[in-house]
Amino acid sequence: MKNIIVLLLLAVFAFGFTADNKVITVKGSDTMVILAQRWAEKYMESHPGITIQVTGGGSGIGIAALINGATDICDAPRPMKASEREKLKARYNTLGVEVKAAKDGLSVYLNESNSVKELTLQQIKDIYTGKFTNWKQVGGKDAKIIVYGRENSSGTYVYFKDNVLGGEDYTSTMQSLPGTAAVVNAVVKDQNAIGYGGAAYAKGIKYAAVKKDDKSPAYTPSEETIKNNTYPITRYLYMYLKVRPTGEIKDYIDWILSKEGQDIVTKVGYFPVK
Amino acid sequence: MKKIYTISIILVLFAAVNFAQDSTAAKVGEVKDALTGLNESYLETKATVDALKKIKISGYIQSQFQSIESDGAATFAGGNFAAGMHNRFMVRRGRVKFNYDNDLTQFVVQVDITEKGFATKDAYVSFIEPWMKTFGLTAGIFDRPFGFEISYSSSNRESPERSRLFQTLFPGERDLGFKLEVRPQEGPLSYFNLKAGLFAGNGVNPETDNNKDFIGRLGFSFPFVDENLAIDGGISAYMGKVIVPAGKSLITVNSPTLATTTIPSDDADRSYLGADLQLYYELPLLGRFTLRGEYISGKQAGSSSSNASYTAAPSGDIYLRNFMGYYLMWVQNLGEKNQFVLKYDVYDPNSDVAGDDIGANAAAKLGAPDIKYSTLGIGLVHYWDDNVKLVFYYDSVSNETSSKLAAFNSDLKDNVFTFRIQYKF
Repeated sequence: MKNIIVLLLLAVFAFGFTADNKVITVKGSDTMVILAQRWAEKYMESHPGITIQVTGGGSGIGIAALINGATDICDAPRPMKASEREKLKARYNTLGVEVKAAKDGLSVYLNESNSVKELTLQQIKDIYTGKFTNWKQVGGKDAKIIVYGRENSSGTYVYFKDNVLGGEDYTSTMQSLPGTAAVVNAVVKDQNAIGYGGAAYAKGIKYAAVKKDDKSPAYTPSEETIKNNTYPITRYLYMYLKVRPTGEIKDYIDWILSKEGQDIVTKVGYFPVK
Repeated sequence: MKKIYTISIILVLFAAVNFAQDSTAAKVGEVKDALTGLNESYLETKATVDALKKIKISGYIQSQFQSIESDGAATFAGGNFAAGMHNRFMVRRGRVKFNYDNDLTQFVVQVDITEKGFATKDAYVSFIEPWMKTFGLTAGIFDRPFGFEISYSSSNRESPERSRLFQTLFPGERDLGFKLEVRPQEGPLSYFNLKAGLFAGNGVNPETDNNKDFIGRLGFSFPFVDENLAIDGGISAYMGKVIVPAGKSLITVNSPTLATTTIPSDDADRSYLGADLQLYYELPLLGRFTLRGEYISGKQAGSSSSNASYTAAPSGDIYLRNFMGYYLMWVQNLGEKNQFVLKYDVYDPNSDVAGDDIGANAAAKLGAPDIKYSTLGIGLVHYWDDNVKLVFYYDSVSNETSSKLAAFNSDLKDNVFTFRIQYKF
């Protein structure tokens, strides 16, 4: 028995604790990838001994990487699902650590030539579930609505489905694109298109002003409407870690939440959490 | 003349520009048509890919080396050793799971392929109602909804095997039947869940009687996200019957002097009550850990030679014993790649008798199936990469001794060391 215990202890030391290094990996949301890159670039300028590797791929892929131990930090524009927390619990005995890193108004993009200026949440839902297929059904011209959205590995896809579509399925005619930039690009080129994504990407398109219902005022995403939660589709942008951060990762998270980190949030086009 | 030349040149240029414009317009039209075709093709391909994505295949293989203290020893660490052997290689589990996941409906088949042969592990359909997504029904062969350790996957479990208690009461973990699951999605009730159903009671084997056993668990899960603390648990019940064969007796072995023998008019009870608790938190300096515990007691219908649950129709007298068992398990993270495991489990198959009571009086009909066991397990789990994990584990098994029972005058030589490699995909 003693020999076995000695063997086990030797095995512990042989495998050892995971050696700390100065490479921090960040993976996840495509919505947040530009923000994450700007943070990393700025932080590495003032911390030359630290390397921060940022990749996108979508929130689902980022969370899977967190569970598999393939990334230190996962970016996600939606809260972690209970099923994902269960997987973290089974492998690491943890629920994960959630950091609210920024705020965003999940924006509805329209082509600049589109005569429609505002939509209620119900109208957006009806368009994305396939109930409305023509712009005249929401006060526009007689033209087919071309629906663009994100792929199902995207946190934005999940957030939009849960919070705007009430959990219903997207219309089968929706064209799924691999990133917010691709959605914006598609809407820029197609005058009958509609898309959704983060506020930071909106170049060459216009935002639909969004109303909670027919009787509510319409709001476009802005610092003020998102800060005071009057814009109806306001969300947090999260960073997830397996356990409470220490060392270089803690320093990096603290810096992101500092004024310097939050200034970058504003520059990129999102909104600070404080 | 010059004017004529000039006019001619202008006319030629005008015609050329017109031709070029016509040509460009035609090309744009062609490109548009091609794009439309590509788009239609993309939508068709997407529909096919979406359908294929519903088919999920997963699995794992556990290959291991084991060494036990004596030749041919009986053990719960993967089955008894063959006569004359005290070490062995084996594929403990070779699982492949096929799942057609249509979101609210599922088709699941899981098989086990090892050197011992081919066995069915799961075969069930399940669906969740689409309105509230709260009520679900599962039918077929699947894990019994009792306690925590049964449904905790062998690929995730840190100890190589389930506790002796569970292996004895729920051989193979699965049973044939159906269950209703209630899992509220919102509000305070979302912290609770209920699983309950009726089962054949023979494990994965065919049904042999008209009795249906009730198995149920009321569970809770409290995630304190800000504190990164989780407290889960539940209470479980098993209410079943075992047929006493015609002409055979029901023998209640609850006394050190005399067993009660009756020719029953009713079937024998198989009834358990259990409670389980899991705590996930963090220790200063050491990091994340989980502490799990589970306790079960009740009446078990066995035979003269075994206290294990029947997996086929009984043919002899039924022995009824009051039993008790529990386990405590501590899993401590050591960095991200390693976990230290300490587990202690106890199974007393007959809590009415102890020590020298067993074997003292022939009339008491006590023997090897009434011996209590405790197992202290200590181990290390190393996660090599996303797919591979290594397990080093030592089980120190102690049995109750009785000077009146020859085979149990002293502690048996059945401590066992296991080294396991698992690949999971």
